[in-house]
Amino acid sequence: MSVLTGKELRIVGFLCNWCSYGGADTAGVGRFVQPTDLRIIRVPCSGRIDPLFIVKALLNGADGVLVSGCHPRDCHYSQGNFYARRRLEVLKHFLPVLGIDPARFEYTWVSASEAQRWQKVVSSFTERIHKLGPASRLENTALPDGLEKRFAAIASGELPSDGKAATRLEELKDRIHEFLPDLDIVIGWQRGFDALHNTPLFMRSAEDLEKLVWGPLNIHNTATYLPSLRGKKVGVVVKGCDSRSVVELLQEKLVDRENIVVFGMPCSGIVDLSKIDRALRERGTGIGRVQAAECGEKGVTIKAGGQEYRFAMEEVAADKCFHCEYPNAVLADHLIGNASPSSSNGKISRQLAAFDAMSLQERMAYWRSQMDRCIRCHACRNACPLCVCKDHCIAQSRDPHWISQEDTITEKLMFQVVHAVHTAGRCTECGECERACPMDIPILAMKRQMNRAIRELFEYKAGTDPEAVPPLLAFQAEEKNIHEGVL
Amino acid sequence: MNNAALAVNPYLPQVATVLKTVQETPNIKTFQLRLDDEEAMAGFSFEPGQVGQLSVFGVGESTFVINSPPTRKEYLQFSVMRSGEVTTRLHGLVAGDKIGVRAPLGNAFPYEAMRGKDIVFVGGGIGMAPLRTLLLYMLDNRKDYGDIVLLYGARTPNDMAFKGDLPEWLGRKDISTTLTVDVESLGWEHKVGLIPNVLKEIHPNPENSVAITCGPPIMIKFTLQALQELGFQDEQIITTLERRMKCGIGICGRCNIGTSYICVDGPVYTNAQLKSLPNEM
Amino acid sequence: MTGAKFLSKEKLLDWLAELGQTRRVFMPVEEGGKIVFRPCTNGDTPALVRDASASPKGVVFPSSAELFRYTKTKARGGKSSMELKPGTEFEPALIFGTRPCGARGFTIFDRVYTGGKFNDPYYRAARENTLIVTLACEGPENTCFCNWVGSGPDDPTGSDVLATPVEGGFVLESVSERGEALLESPLLQPAEARTAEADSVKSRARAELPPARDISAAPQSIRALFDNQKFWDEVSSKCLSCGACTYLCPTCYCFTITDEDHGDSGKRLRSWDNCMSYQFSLEASGHNPRPTKAHRLRNRVGHKFSYYPQLHEGLLACCGCGRCIRSCPVSMDIREIVLDAIDRVQAKNCEVVHE
Repeated sequence: MSVLTGKELRIVGFLCNWCSYGGADTAGVGRFVQPTDLRIIRVPCSGRIDPLFIVKALLNGADGVLVSGCHPRDCHYSQGNFYARRRLEVLKHFLPVLGIDPARFEYTWVSASEAQRWQKVVSSFTERIHKLGPASRLENTALPDGLEKRFAAIASGELPSDGKAATRLEELKDRIHEFLPDLDIVIGWQRGFDALHNTPLFMRSAEDLEKLVWGPLNIHNTATYLPSLRGKKVGVVVKGCDSRSVVELLQEKLVDRENIVVFGMPCSGIVDLSKIDRALRERGTGIGRVQAAECGEKGVTIKAGGQEYRFAMEEVAADKCFHCEYPNAVLADHLIGNASPSSSNGKISRQLAAFDAMSLQERMAYWRSQMDRCIRCHACRNACPLCVCKDHCIAQSRDPHWISQEDTITEKLMFQVVHAVHTAGRCTECGECERACPMDIPILAMKRQMNRAIRELFEYKAGTDPEAVPPLLAFQAEEKNIHEGVL
Repeated sequence: MNNAALAVNPYLPQVATVLKTVQETPNIKTFQLRLDDEEAMAGFSFEPGQVGQLSVFGVGESTFVINSPPTRKEYLQFSVMRSGEVTTRLHGLVAGDKIGVRAPLGNAFPYEAMRGKDIVFVGGGIGMAPLRTLLLYMLDNRKDYGDIVLLYGARTPNDMAFKGDLPEWLGRKDISTTLTVDVESLGWEHKVGLIPNVLKEIHPNPENSVAITCGPPIMIKFTLQALQELGFQDEQIITTLERRMKCGIGICGRCNIGTSYICVDGPVYTNAQLKSLPNEM
Repeated sequence: MTGAKFLSKEKLLDWLAELGQTRRVFMPVEEGGKIVFRPCTNGDTPALVRDASASPKGVVFPSSAELFRYTKTKARGGKSSMELKPGTEFEPALIFGTRPCGARGFTIFDRVYTGGKFNDPYYRAARENTLIVTLACEGPENTCFCNWVGSGPDDPTGSDVLATPVEGGFVLESVSERGEALLESPLLQPAEARTAEADSVKSRARAELPPARDISAAPQSIRALFDNQKFWDEVSSKCLSCGACTYLCPTCYCFTITDEDHGDSGKRLRSWDNCMSYQFSLEASGHNPRPTKAHRLRNRVGHKFSYYPQLHEGLLACCGCGRCIRSCPVSMDIREIVLDAIDRVQAKNCEVVHE
């Protein structure tokens, strides 16, 4: 057994108290020869294992992590390992986006009497980790040249459009006008500090209603504000993607259906201001110098520095709008205008395709280069419609101490993993996290990867059915798409 | 500044050793400590009302009033109510343990200006801590001050801190001490009643007097009303404020009420000063 | 005083390399479409076409820094001891390419960190050992309002050298004595007639800024509105209560102190804090004097435009760089809030007069 000689690696084992810890003990008492790389942490149940334990270990120097619990149907608490199985399987699918080889993590079931099985599990997992060698550390990775070029080759998809957006604003205003007297607030958008920046509008009177605008510059997710307005009668104007957040909030009972009036607007795509900025910079000016802008369904005309620039929507639309599956509100009390046709064609986003095109090593190096400029402002979290713990987020708690105040890349990346894991099976990919980032860090990629895993494993899409149970709050005794037992 | 170390690096605590701890109430513990640097301890001076930051290394810092008087220099005393992470860890310390101290910080009671005046102390719960410093200072300089009235209350007899001091305060002829608890309790021989009501019963004379009150916010609110009813002017009423603090030296920016930074401009304020600040309690 | 010097574009990198021999040089570079200050390394070119996305404050006031390290030892016989070692010394630095607003930000820090009752030794060492070569602006962005706060596109406040872009390079003028020494490099030549060109660049930039709004009534107005909860609720409605504005702001100086424990040793860190966060003023008892974003925004705006100026001779704790507007995820506009406050109080005063 080669792993019994040579340099030890660092492997962390999370073992359930009732079965696997007993199994390891039995193996020890029975003098079964085992490799000594494993450092065991005893937990009450595999259901206690937060996937973040595993990521934290892997980001902080572990070469492998092994989780072992009671066999399905054998859980001391009857269901803990069923939930664990879903979470851990999702995590396994998620790890590659961080540039971590999913083979460095495994979960398995060993009962208290299975000393021999425990010996086999430890030996084969340790052997696997030794074959992989010491894990590469985030701090030590370097980004290869030419990555951007490779990304550029990836085609984007199509935008939803029916060419009638312009006429709908008056209809929307009329409808809101009708209901405003019965509502405390209606959330929409208005023009902001310049012609390209719209800003959320909180309408309380008919006078406010006059400020309402509609178009591709309404980039903010209005649903983000709903949980904090609980108890009030709130009207909310939504695009298709915003409506999915409303649905998810309803699913999780974070807002009350009877207090919310949804005004659904068919959407033909919104702009990505960072793309406009980039395009303007290439032409020697910048988004800060925009004097006037005309924004329609076909594209944007911008006047900056005395010059006029035209960009087709395809050039400046947000990534999420290409292959948009839900351009129309999935839930609305008042649907304005005709539905936009969906542009979904089953393809994955450009961003995810770019990640798929990178090696694991490159992905880790990519995160290192991107997370470096994170200022830890938590705009990603606060703009997220589903991050409802805001004031009590574990990123800022001292006990438990998940994230330290040290501004290392590992700590910054760990926070993004917390966000992705805590929104797993809930995230509707509205993209607010990435849009809100003042440093333009492509953090949506993590959620996209997570959602792909959720889709593949549970055939589930968050925020489409107010009655559906989110997949990580449920389990099946026999999981259709989970195939365990590799060790 | 009375401590040279603070002038050099105000963020660097001085290491001290816990000499003795006293469990005052189920959630209040008193610590007596000495700076390890004997020279610094000998040179350490402060004024009644000033505070210190106590460090549990690895956990953090919290602000507490120095409740031993500057006239008694064998040790520095702090009383800590358990409520957060740092205070919970502080409660676990025993004699011989190391602790960090940054002191003295903040302003002091205007004890010079109080000379020759009658003094009314109204303390509630842990709020007795800052009053204790001033009271002991006055007792050590007894002839400088007029009549001293002390009213100290707690929820139950169990919650009454400084039990070691009480017999002396009750026994002395040169101060008039009243103790009260909120609810009737077995074996309690003193007053029963809320502090503001008992204060009105005692009916101190506002003429040439200063009232110093400290305690939980709700008690302060009604005590201020009671004092005003008794005829005390805003300038005659002194209290201390609390806020979350970090640096303790007026820089980190969180403990302000409007333009006033409690860590350097406070914690001691007259009611008149408080009224000039924005109402952000 | 040495006259103004000319630095040709071709010699810029050489000059930075020369400066880099004696100190760490930081300059704005492009990263992922954003501009951040990074140590100058060979081959990098500074991004100077517009102001950096992040402010230069991190060079002098790092987002996370050690105040000290501690080591616990337990000697035989159970006697324990504790050793404290202050954070590492600051190595001399130079910031190249900040705009005047970024440099001015440090002067807002100075009054608090080295001008008060207590002295911040870490900040003082960093500030004293950092030289600032500022690049004058050629024209404003939509979010610029430096002229509102008494600054301008060529404001030398806080800088050691002011560089003005001219045809083919920069005209360098020393602002401080330390800056004068920087102009002695053989890579520079006398500016001569280019000084006039620089002057016209400056005056053109000043002229391009929209006229400044008078916000001298801000301190009193904001104070007067303190108890007007409705006003603060309304202006904070769309705020996400994140920290983008505070962390990007060149004048936001608040910090927190936390311990990071590693067994028998550890460190106490000082790191940027954000007054828009719930935790900022949360007390151990659970009480929070600023429980909602309205309370916190009131303190943020109040601090910058009312409290600070009341304590510091009318100086606003804002340098008008517009980062908080430009980078806000929901396009909050602090200018609008301040003007709104002034207008409301004025309108109310008018009402009183009419009555």
